[in-house]
Amino acid sequence: MWRVLQAVLAAFFGVQSERKRREDFQQSSPWPFILTGVLMTLVFVVAVGFLAHWASS
Amino acid sequence: MPACLPKVWRLLPAGFLLIALPVAGSQVNTSSGWNMPPGVTGISQNIFSLHMIIFWICVVIALVVFGVIFWSLFAYRKSKGAKAAHFHENTLVEVIWTALPLIILVAMAVPATATLKQLYDTSEADMDILVTGHQWRWHYQYMEEDLSFFSNLATPRSQIEGQEDKGDFYLLEVDQPLVVPTGQKIRFLFTSNDVIHSWWVPDLGIKKDTLPGFINESWTRIEEEGTYRGQCAELCGRNHAFMPIEVKAVSPEAYQSWVEERKAAAASEAANVDRERSLDELMQRGEEVYTTYCAACHQEDGGGMPPAFPALKGNALVQEESGRQQHLETVLHGRSGTPMPAYSDTLSLADIAAVITYERNAWGNNSGDRVQPAEIRELLDSDD
Repeated sequence: MWRVLQAVLAAFFGVQSERKRREDFQQSSPWPFILTGVLMTLVFVVAVGFLAHWASS
Repeated sequence: MPACLPKVWRLLPAGFLLIALPVAGSQVNTSSGWNMPPGVTGISQNIFSLHMIIFWICVVIALVVFGVIFWSLFAYRKSKGAKAAHFHENTLVEVIWTALPLIILVAMAVPATATLKQLYDTSEADMDILVTGHQWRWHYQYMEEDLSFFSNLATPRSQIEGQEDKGDFYLLEVDQPLVVPTGQKIRFLFTSNDVIHSWWVPDLGIKKDTLPGFINESWTRIEEEGTYRGQCAELCGRNHAFMPIEVKAVSPEAYQSWVEERKAAAASEAANVDRERSLDELMQRGEEVYTTYCAACHQEDGGGMPPAFPALKGNALVQEESGRQQHLETVLHGRSGTPMPAYSDTLSLADIAAVITYERNAWGNNSGDRVQPAEIRELLDSDD
Protein backbone atom coordinates (compact mmCIF):
# COMPACT_ATOMS: atom_id res chain seq x y z
CA MET A 1 0.00 0.00 0.00
CA TRP A 2 2.74 2.45 1.00
CA ARG A 3 4.56 1.61 -2.26
CA VAL A 4 1.43 2.50 -4.32
CA LEU A 5 0.92 5.77 -2.44
CA GLN A 6 4.55 6.67 -2.92
CA ALA A 7 4.28 6.02 -6.66
CA VAL A 8 1.15 8.19 -6.95
CA LEU A 9 2.72 11.05 -4.95
CA ALA A 10 5.83 10.86 -7.11
CA ALA A 11 3.59 11.08 -10.18
CA PHE A 12 1.84 14.17 -8.71
CA PHE A 13 5.23 15.76 -8.15
CA GLY A 14 6.41 14.70 -11.60
CA VAL A 15 9.71 13.03 -10.60
CA GLN A 16 10.39 9.32 -10.06
CA SER A 17 13.65 7.42 -9.98
CA GLU A 18 14.29 4.76 -12.63
CA ARG A 19 14.76 2.05 -9.95
CA LYS A 20 11.34 2.68 -8.36
CA ARG A 21 9.70 2.86 -11.77
CA ARG A 22 10.98 -0.62 -12.64
CA GLU A 23 9.75 -2.00 -9.33
CA ASP A 24 6.29 -0.46 -9.85
CA PHE A 25 5.98 -2.00 -13.29
CA GLN A 26 6.59 -5.45 -11.85
CA GLN A 27 3.26 -5.37 -10.03
CA SER A 28 0.64 -7.71 -11.43
CA SER A 29 -2.30 -5.30 -11.61
CA PRO A 30 -2.49 -1.55 -12.47
CA TRP A 31 -5.79 -1.07 -10.57
CA PRO A 32 -4.33 -0.16 -7.14
CA PHE A 33 -2.39 2.65 -8.87
CA ILE A 34 -5.40 3.92 -10.82
CA LEU A 35 -7.76 3.86 -7.82
CA THR A 36 -5.23 5.54 -5.52
CA GLY A 37 -4.58 8.13 -8.26
CA VAL A 38 -8.28 9.01 -8.56
CA LEU A 39 -8.67 9.13 -4.77
CA MET A 40 -5.62 11.35 -4.31
CA THR A 41 -6.88 13.69 -7.04
CA LEU A 42 -10.10 14.15 -5.07
CA VAL A 43 -8.11 14.74 -1.87
CA PHE A 44 -5.98 17.32 -3.71
CA VAL A 45 -9.02 19.19 -5.09
CA VAL A 46 -10.68 19.31 -1.66
CA ALA A 47 -7.41 20.46 -0.07
CA VAL A 48 -7.05 23.30 -2.62
CA GLY A 49 -10.69 24.23 -1.94
CA PHE A 50 -10.04 24.43 1.80
CA LEU A 51 -6.85 26.42 1.25
CA ALA A 52 -8.68 28.94 -0.95
CA HIS A 53 -11.50 29.17 1.59
CA TRP A 54 -9.05 29.72 4.42
CA ALA A 55 -7.08 32.35 2.46
CA SER A 56 -10.19 34.33 1.55
CA SER A 57 -11.76 34.38 5.02
CA MET B 1 33.09 38.39 -35.04
CA PRO B 2 36.15 37.46 -37.14
CA ALA B 3 37.71 34.09 -36.31
CA CYS B 4 41.21 35.59 -35.91
CA LEU B 5 40.28 37.25 -32.60
CA PRO B 6 41.36 35.47 -29.41
CA LYS B 7 38.63 32.99 -28.56
CA VAL B 8 37.76 34.57 -25.24
CA TRP B 9 36.66 37.73 -27.04
CA ARG B 10 33.81 35.85 -28.64
CA LEU B 11 32.25 35.74 -25.19
CA LEU B 12 31.98 39.53 -25.09
CA PRO B 13 28.24 39.67 -25.89
CA ALA B 14 27.47 37.25 -23.06
CA GLY B 15 29.65 39.18 -20.64
CA PHE B 16 28.00 42.41 -21.69
CA LEU B 17 24.57 40.93 -21.00
CA LEU B 18 25.61 39.81 -17.52
CA ILE B 19 26.80 43.30 -16.66
CA ALA B 20 24.02 45.22 -18.44
CA LEU B 21 21.10 43.40 -16.82
CA PRO B 22 21.66 44.54 -13.22
CA VAL B 23 22.55 48.05 -14.39
CA ALA B 24 19.31 48.32 -16.37
CA GLY B 25 17.48 46.86 -13.38
CA SER B 26 18.71 49.53 -10.99
CA GLN B 27 17.47 52.22 -13.41
CA VAL B 28 13.85 51.07 -13.65
CA ASN B 29 13.22 51.64 -9.97
CA THR B 30 13.58 55.39 -10.37
CA SER B 31 10.90 57.55 -11.97
CA SER B 32 12.49 57.23 -15.40
CA GLY B 33 9.13 56.93 -17.13
CA TRP B 34 9.89 53.33 -18.06
CA ASN B 35 8.35 51.84 -14.97
CA MET B 36 4.77 51.87 -13.69
CA PRO B 37 4.02 54.70 -11.20
CA PRO B 38 3.85 53.86 -7.46
CA GLY B 39 0.63 55.87 -7.34
CA VAL B 40 -1.05 57.73 -4.48
CA THR B 41 -3.18 55.12 -2.73
CA GLY B 42 -2.32 52.25 -0.38
CA ILE B 43 -3.49 49.74 -2.98
CA SER B 44 -1.51 51.26 -5.84
CA GLN B 45 1.64 51.26 -3.67
CA ASN B 46 1.05 47.61 -2.75
CA ILE B 47 0.68 46.79 -6.43
CA PHE B 48 3.89 48.67 -7.17
CA SER B 49 5.91 46.84 -4.52
CA LEU B 50 4.52 43.49 -5.70
CA HIS B 51 5.62 44.42 -9.20
CA MET B 52 9.12 45.31 -7.99
CA ILE B 53 9.50 42.18 -5.83
CA ILE B 54 8.51 39.92 -8.71
CA PHE B 55 10.72 41.89 -11.10
CA TRP B 56 13.77 41.33 -8.88
CA ILE B 57 12.93 37.65 -8.43
CA CYS B 58 12.89 37.38 -12.23
CA VAL B 59 16.22 39.21 -12.49
CA VAL B 60 17.89 36.88 -9.97
CA ILE B 61 16.50 33.76 -11.69
CA ALA B 62 17.64 35.05 -15.08
CA LEU B 63 21.15 35.80 -13.77
CA VAL B 64 21.50 32.36 -12.17
CA VAL B 65 20.09 30.43 -15.15
CA PHE B 66 21.93 32.34 -17.86
CA GLY B 67 25.04 32.53 -15.66
CA VAL B 68 25.14 28.72 -15.45
CA ILE B 69 24.51 28.41 -19.20
CA PHE B 70 27.24 30.85 -20.21
CA TRP B 71 29.71 29.54 -17.64
CA SER B 72 29.13 25.96 -18.88
CA LEU B 73 29.54 27.06 -22.48
CA PHE B 74 32.83 28.72 -21.59
CA ALA B 75 34.37 26.30 -19.10
CA TYR B 76 33.42 23.10 -20.91
CA ARG B 77 34.07 24.07 -24.51
CA LYS B 78 35.14 21.50 -27.06
CA SER B 79 38.53 23.15 -27.75
CA LYS B 80 39.50 22.43 -24.12
CA GLY B 81 38.75 18.76 -24.73
CA ALA B 82 35.41 18.64 -22.90
CA LYS B 83 33.40 15.47 -23.51
CA ALA B 84 29.62 15.27 -23.17
CA ALA B 85 28.44 13.12 -20.27
CA HIS B 86 25.99 10.33 -21.06
CA PHE B 87 23.54 9.65 -18.25
CA HIS B 88 19.81 9.15 -18.14
CA GLU B 89 18.49 10.68 -14.95
CA ASN B 90 19.40 12.32 -11.69
CA THR B 91 16.56 12.18 -9.21
CA LEU B 92 18.06 14.68 -6.78
CA VAL B 93 18.54 17.40 -9.43
CA GLU B 94 15.06 16.75 -10.82
CA VAL B 95 13.51 17.10 -7.36
CA ILE B 96 15.38 20.36 -6.79
CA TRP B 97 14.34 21.94 -10.10
CA THR B 98 10.73 20.93 -9.48
CA ALA B 99 10.52 22.01 -5.85
CA LEU B 100 12.34 25.32 -6.25
CA PRO B 101 9.86 26.90 -8.73
CA LEU B 102 7.01 25.62 -6.54
CA ILE B 103 8.46 27.41 -3.52
CA ILE B 104 9.12 30.59 -5.53
CA LEU B 105 5.57 30.63 -6.94
CA VAL B 106 4.00 30.13 -3.52
CA ALA B 107 6.24 32.85 -2.09
CA MET B 108 4.96 35.23 -4.80
CA ALA B 109 1.33 34.13 -4.37
CA VAL B 110 1.16 34.95 -0.65
CA PRO B 111 1.64 38.75 -0.88
CA ALA B 112 -0.25 38.85 -4.21
CA THR B 113 -3.31 37.18 -2.64
CA ALA B 114 -3.20 39.57 0.32
CA THR B 115 -3.26 42.55 -2.08
CA LEU B 116 -6.03 41.02 -4.22
CA LYS B 117 -8.18 40.54 -1.12
CA GLN B 118 -7.72 44.20 -0.24
CA LEU B 119 -8.44 45.22 -3.84
CA TYR B 120 -11.83 43.50 -3.86
CA ASP B 121 -12.95 44.65 -0.43
CA THR B 122 -15.43 47.38 -1.39
CA SER B 123 -17.29 47.21 1.93
CA GLU B 124 -17.81 50.16 4.29
CA ALA B 125 -17.31 52.88 1.70
CA ASP B 126 -17.93 56.51 2.66
CA MET B 127 -19.39 57.36 -0.75
CA ASP B 128 -20.31 55.75 -4.08
CA ILE B 129 -19.75 57.01 -7.61
CA LEU B 130 -21.33 55.40 -10.66
CA VAL B 131 -19.01 55.60 -13.66
CA THR B 132 -20.67 55.00 -17.02
CA GLY B 133 -18.71 54.67 -20.25
CA HIS B 134 -20.19 56.31 -23.33
CA GLN B 135 -18.87 56.54 -26.87
CA TRP B 136 -16.75 58.65 -26.25
CA ARG B 137 -16.98 60.32 -22.89
CA TRP B 138 -17.31 59.37 -19.22
CA HIS B 139 -20.38 60.02 -17.10
CA TYR B 140 -20.08 60.35 -13.32
CA GLN B 141 -22.96 60.09 -10.91
CA TYR B 142 -22.51 60.78 -7.20
CA MET B 143 -24.95 58.31 -5.69
CA GLU B 144 -25.43 60.10 -2.34
CA GLU B 145 -25.79 63.54 -3.91
CA ASP B 146 -28.22 64.68 -6.57
CA LEU B 147 -25.28 65.26 -8.84
CA SER B 148 -24.13 63.86 -12.17
CA PHE B 149 -22.31 65.11 -15.24
CA PHE B 150 -20.41 64.17 -18.38
CA SER B 151 -16.66 64.59 -18.59
CA ASN B 152 -15.50 65.47 -22.11
CA LEU B 153 -12.13 65.83 -23.79
CA ALA B 154 -10.96 69.44 -23.45
CA THR B 155 -7.96 69.39 -25.81
CA PRO B 156 -8.74 71.81 -28.66
CA ARG B 157 -9.12 70.33 -32.15
CA SER B 158 -6.42 72.70 -33.42
CA GLN B 159 -3.85 70.78 -31.31
CA ILE B 160 -5.18 67.42 -32.48
CA GLU B 161 -5.00 68.48 -36.11
CA GLY B 162 -1.48 69.84 -35.73
CA GLN B 163 -2.20 73.53 -36.28
CA GLU B 164 -1.03 74.35 -32.76
CA ASP B 165 1.65 72.96 -30.45
CA LYS B 166 0.52 70.20 -28.13
CA GLY B 167 -0.19 71.26 -24.53
CA ASP B 168 1.26 69.61 -21.40
CA PHE B 169 -1.81 67.44 -20.93
CA TYR B 170 -2.53 66.72 -24.57
CA LEU B 171 -5.49 64.28 -24.77
CA LEU B 172 -5.37 63.91 -20.97
CA GLU B 173 -7.53 66.91 -20.04
CA VAL B 174 -11.30 67.19 -19.63
CA ASP B 175 -13.86 69.97 -19.29
CA GLN B 176 -15.25 68.69 -15.96
CA PRO B 177 -12.95 66.48 -13.87
CA LEU B 178 -14.20 63.92 -11.40
CA VAL B 179 -13.80 65.73 -8.06
CA VAL B 180 -13.33 63.53 -4.97
CA PRO B 181 -12.39 64.13 -1.33
CA THR B 182 -9.06 62.91 0.06
CA GLY B 183 -8.88 60.42 2.94
CA GLN B 184 -12.29 58.86 2.25
CA LYS B 185 -13.08 55.39 0.97
CA ILE B 186 -14.77 55.87 -2.37
CA ARG B 187 -16.54 52.94 -4.01
CA PHE B 188 -16.75 53.04 -7.79
CA LEU B 189 -19.48 51.23 -9.69
CA PHE B 190 -18.66 50.73 -13.34
CA THR B 191 -21.01 50.15 -16.23
CA SER B 192 -21.39 51.15 -19.86
CA ASN B 193 -24.05 52.71 -22.01
CA ASP B 194 -22.94 51.14 -25.30
CA VAL B 195 -19.79 49.06 -25.79
CA ILE B 196 -17.02 47.83 -23.46
CA HIS B 197 -14.78 50.60 -22.16
CA SER B 198 -12.18 50.45 -19.40
CA TRP B 199 -11.64 53.09 -16.72
CA TRP B 200 -7.88 53.27 -16.18
CA VAL B 201 -6.11 55.63 -13.77
CA PRO B 202 -2.56 54.33 -13.09
CA ASP B 203 -1.98 56.56 -10.04
CA LEU B 204 -5.01 55.02 -8.31
CA GLY B 205 -4.05 51.47 -9.32
CA ILE B 206 -7.46 51.03 -10.99
CA LYS B 207 -8.13 49.55 -14.41
CA LYS B 208 -11.65 48.22 -14.58
CA ASP B 209 -13.71 47.22 -17.61
CA THR B 210 -17.12 48.85 -17.96
CA LEU B 211 -19.59 46.40 -19.50
CA PRO B 212 -23.08 47.20 -20.75
CA GLY B 213 -25.61 45.45 -18.51
CA PHE B 214 -23.09 44.60 -15.79
CA ILE B 215 -21.81 46.44 -12.72
CA ASN B 216 -18.14 46.11 -11.79
CA GLU B 217 -16.80 47.45 -8.52
CA SER B 218 -13.59 48.94 -7.24
CA TRP B 219 -12.58 51.40 -4.58
CA THR B 220 -9.94 53.95 -3.69
CA ARG B 221 -8.76 56.09 -0.82
CA ILE B 222 -6.57 58.93 -2.05
CA GLU B 223 -4.28 60.42 0.59
CA GLU B 224 -2.62 63.18 -1.44
CA GLU B 225 -4.41 66.12 -3.03
CA GLY B 226 -3.74 66.39 -6.73
CA THR B 227 -4.89 65.70 -10.27
CA TYR B 228 -4.58 62.14 -11.53
CA ARG B 229 -5.06 61.36 -15.20
CA GLY B 230 -5.98 58.28 -17.16
CA GLN B 231 -7.47 56.97 -20.36
CA CYS B 232 -9.94 54.46 -21.71
CA ALA B 233 -8.06 51.16 -21.89
CA GLU B 234 -10.43 49.09 -24.01
CA LEU B 235 -10.68 49.78 -27.73
CA CYS B 236 -14.20 51.20 -27.98
CA GLY B 237 -14.46 52.71 -31.43
CA ARG B 238 -13.46 55.73 -33.43
CA ASN B 239 -12.70 58.15 -30.57
CA HIS B 240 -11.28 55.64 -28.10
CA ALA B 241 -8.17 57.80 -27.65
CA PHE B 242 -10.26 60.91 -27.07
CA MET B 243 -12.08 60.08 -23.83
CA PRO B 244 -9.54 60.77 -21.07
CA ILE B 245 -10.10 60.62 -17.33
CA GLU B 246 -9.15 63.37 -14.90
CA VAL B 247 -9.57 62.81 -11.18
CA LYS B 248 -9.13 65.81 -8.91
CA ALA B 249 -8.60 64.94 -5.26
CA VAL B 250 -9.29 67.87 -2.91
CA SER B 251 -9.72 68.27 0.86
CA PRO B 252 -13.12 67.13 2.22
CA GLU B 253 -14.04 70.80 2.93
CA ALA B 254 -13.21 71.89 -0.62
CA TYR B 255 -15.14 68.89 -1.90
CA GLN B 256 -18.24 69.87 0.09
CA SER B 257 -18.18 73.42 -1.22
CA TRP B 258 -17.67 72.12 -4.77
CA VAL B 259 -20.78 69.94 -4.38
CA GLU B 260 -22.82 72.91 -3.13
CA GLU B 261 -21.58 75.02 -6.04
CA ARG B 262 -22.51 72.36 -8.59
CA LYS B 263 -25.98 71.99 -7.10
CA ALA B 264 -26.57 75.74 -7.04
CA ALA B 265 -25.51 75.99 -10.68
CA ALA B 266 -27.87 73.17 -11.66
CA ALA B 267 -30.73 74.77 -9.73
CA SER B 268 -30.20 78.16 -11.34
CA GLU B 269 -30.10 76.56 -14.78
CA ALA B 270 -33.36 74.75 -14.09
CA ALA B 271 -34.97 77.98 -12.86
CA ASN B 272 -33.77 79.73 -15.99
CA VAL B 273 -35.27 77.39 -18.59
CA ASP B 274 -38.09 79.78 -19.44
CA ARG B 275 -35.82 82.74 -20.10
CA GLU B 276 -35.88 83.76 -23.77
CA ARG B 277 -32.35 83.46 -25.30
CA SER B 278 -30.99 85.73 -28.02
CA LEU B 279 -29.62 84.27 -31.24
CA ASP B 280 -26.07 85.32 -30.26
CA GLU B 281 -26.25 83.63 -26.87
CA LEU B 282 -27.63 80.42 -28.39
CA MET B 283 -25.02 80.43 -31.17
CA GLN B 284 -22.13 80.93 -28.76
CA ARG B 285 -23.17 78.09 -26.44
CA GLY B 286 -24.22 76.00 -29.43
CA GLU B 287 -20.78 76.14 -30.98
CA GLU B 288 -19.17 74.82 -27.79
CA VAL B 289 -21.68 71.99 -27.53
CA TYR B 290 -21.32 71.17 -31.23
CA THR B 291 -17.52 70.97 -30.97
CA THR B 292 -17.72 68.63 -27.98
CA TYR B 293 -20.56 66.35 -29.01
CA CYS B 294 -21.17 66.56 -32.76
CA ALA B 295 -17.97 67.55 -34.56
CA ALA B 296 -16.31 64.13 -34.24
CA CYS B 297 -18.77 62.73 -36.82
CA HIS B 298 -20.45 65.70 -38.53
CA GLN B 299 -17.13 67.62 -38.62
CA GLU B 300 -16.25 71.12 -37.50
CA ASP B 301 -17.39 72.62 -40.83
CA GLY B 302 -20.68 70.70 -40.89
CA GLY B 303 -19.53 68.78 -43.97
CA GLY B 304 -19.96 65.37 -42.31
CA MET B 305 -18.41 62.22 -43.74
CA PRO B 306 -21.03 60.88 -46.14
CA PRO B 307 -22.50 58.37 -46.36
CA ALA B 308 -21.94 57.32 -42.70
CA PHE B 309 -22.23 60.80 -41.19
CA PRO B 310 -24.42 63.10 -43.30
CA ALA B 311 -23.48 66.73 -43.89
CA LEU B 312 -25.46 69.26 -41.85
CA LYS B 313 -24.31 72.14 -44.00
CA GLY B 314 -26.92 72.75 -46.70
CA ASN B 315 -29.00 69.85 -45.37
CA ALA B 316 -32.72 70.52 -46.00
CA LEU B 317 -33.64 68.95 -42.66
CA VAL B 318 -31.35 71.34 -40.84
CA GLN B 319 -31.97 74.39 -43.00
CA GLU B 320 -35.66 74.52 -43.85
CA GLU B 321 -38.73 75.09 -41.73
CA SER B 322 -40.33 71.86 -42.98
CA GLY B 323 -37.47 69.79 -41.52
CA ARG B 324 -37.43 71.56 -38.16
CA GLN B 325 -39.56 69.05 -36.25
CA GLN B 326 -37.58 66.10 -37.56
CA HIS B 327 -34.29 67.84 -36.78
CA LEU B 328 -35.38 68.28 -33.16
CA GLU B 329 -36.59 64.68 -32.91
CA THR B 330 -33.33 63.35 -34.37
CA VAL B 331 -31.15 65.21 -31.86
CA LEU B 332 -33.37 64.25 -28.90
CA HIS B 333 -33.98 60.60 -29.71
CA GLY B 334 -31.24 59.66 -32.18
CA ARG B 335 -31.91 57.75 -35.34
CA SER B 336 -32.15 53.97 -35.14
CA GLY B 337 -30.06 51.97 -37.56
CA THR B 338 -27.42 54.72 -37.66
CA PRO B 339 -24.63 55.75 -35.23
CA MET B 340 -26.64 58.89 -34.31
CA PRO B 341 -27.30 58.62 -30.54
CA ALA B 342 -30.13 60.17 -28.52
CA TYR B 343 -29.09 63.31 -26.65
CA SER B 344 -32.19 63.87 -24.50
CA ASP B 345 -30.46 62.29 -21.46
CA THR B 346 -26.95 63.46 -22.29
CA LEU B 347 -27.40 67.20 -22.73
CA SER B 348 -29.30 69.81 -20.74
CA LEU B 349 -32.38 71.50 -22.24
CA ALA B 350 -30.37 74.70 -22.75
CA ASP B 351 -27.54 72.83 -24.48
CA ILE B 352 -29.90 70.99 -26.83
CA ALA B 353 -31.68 74.22 -27.76
CA ALA B 354 -28.33 75.95 -28.32
CA VAL B 355 -26.78 73.23 -30.46
CA ILE B 356 -29.86 72.91 -32.69
CA THR B 357 -29.94 76.67 -33.13
CA TYR B 358 -26.25 76.58 -34.00
CA GLU B 359 -26.71 73.84 -36.60
CA ARG B 360 -29.59 75.73 -38.20
CA ASN B 361 -27.56 78.94 -38.52
CA ALA B 362 -23.89 78.03 -38.89
CA TRP B 363 -21.93 77.40 -42.10
CA GLY B 364 -24.35 79.48 -44.22
CA ASN B 365 -27.41 77.53 -43.15
CA ASN B 366 -28.69 80.97 -41.97
CA SER B 367 -32.28 79.95 -41.29
CA GLY B 368 -32.50 82.69 -38.64
CA ASP B 369 -34.36 80.09 -36.61
CA ARG B 370 -34.06 80.06 -32.83
CA VAL B 371 -34.86 77.09 -30.57
CA GLN B 372 -35.57 77.88 -26.92
CA PRO B 373 -35.00 75.49 -23.98
CA ALA B 374 -38.70 75.74 -23.05
CA GLU B 375 -39.64 74.36 -26.47
CA ILE B 376 -37.39 71.32 -25.92
CA ARG B 377 -38.96 70.75 -22.51
CA GLU B 378 -42.45 70.85 -24.02
CA LEU B 379 -41.43 68.41 -26.72
CA LEU B 380 -39.97 65.97 -24.18
CA ASP B 381 -43.04 66.28 -21.92
CA SER B 382 -45.39 65.54 -24.81
CA ASP B 383 -43.33 62.48 -25.76
CA ASP B 384 -43.75 60.89 -22.34
